[in-house]
Amino acid sequence: MNKEIEKLLFNPIRLKIISFLITVEYGNFNALIEITDASKGNLSIQLKKLNEAKLIKIKKYFQKSYPKTDYSITKKGRKDFECFFKQLELYNKKK
Amino acid sequence: MNKEEQIKIINETITKTKFTLKPLGYNFIFWGFLIISMSLFHYFFPEIVQFNVYSAAIYWVLIPLLGMIYTTYYNIKTGKAIGYETILGRVIKIIWGVFGGSWLAIVIISLIYNDNPVQDILFLLGVTLTMSGLIIKFNKITLGGILLILFVIYTYFVPDLNFLLVNVVGITFGMLLPGFALYFYKENE
Repeated sequence: MNKEIEKLLFNPIRLKIISFLITVEYGNFNALIEITDASKGNLSIQLKKLNEAKLIKIKKYFQKSYPKTDYSITKKGRKDFECFFKQLELYNKKK
Repeated sequence: MNKEEQIKIINETITKTKFTLKPLGYNFIFWGFLIISMSLFHYFFPEIVQFNVYSAAIYWVLIPLLGMIYTTYYNIKTGKAIGYETILGRVIKIIWGVFGGSWLAIVIISLIYNDNPVQDILFLLGVTLTMSGLIIKFNKITLGGILLILFVIYTYFVPDLNFLLVNVVGITFGMLLPGFALYFYKENE
């Protein structure tokens, strides 16, 4: 398994973010807070790390003069997560 | 965090991410009431709706177009409030978007050829409902769609039917009742 992905998804918040984004087209910051139960600050840090690893992409825009942000998974993120999940399944079957 | 815990987190997160049925139910109820009201108004007051050559066509194009604008606004607003769009939600959105475009094409073609579009629209609606029901695994919608298709087929064998009343019956069983079933469905049960 890719060590970088394994290390990144070892964090439960980051794992929740990726597991959520793999099932949706996009999700906004509030939806991610609800799904992950993380604080705003912590969530921002984890999102930044996932974005730096090119696993997620960020779309910023204005809605009624308020800044909004949508998050979605990248092709690389989807591929890496599928690989990560297959490894977990394999481990589960072996057990 | 061990591998079992990782699998548990993934499963729990995916389970939390649900496609909410209520907005789709609201759309069905809105369109059901709108089309039934329009059909009944046309049936009881034909002298108002058909006061000149183009008035009925304007009536059947303009009001549904306003309905489309309203439901598009409602769906965008609801989508923003939910904060995410599931892949299932996107599929349903595309299917109904294609239905909207096809409905417009059928109406325009029927205006050009001076043909009644009710059977074609109801058939298309039946197919779209059946597909939606199968995709979201909601049997009442699938059943509504199948009944609507069968009803349209039946209308081809019965001459001299009033298409406005055909519309009322078809939309009631194919859209309004399944819409209520969707809207009041308790998703957590």
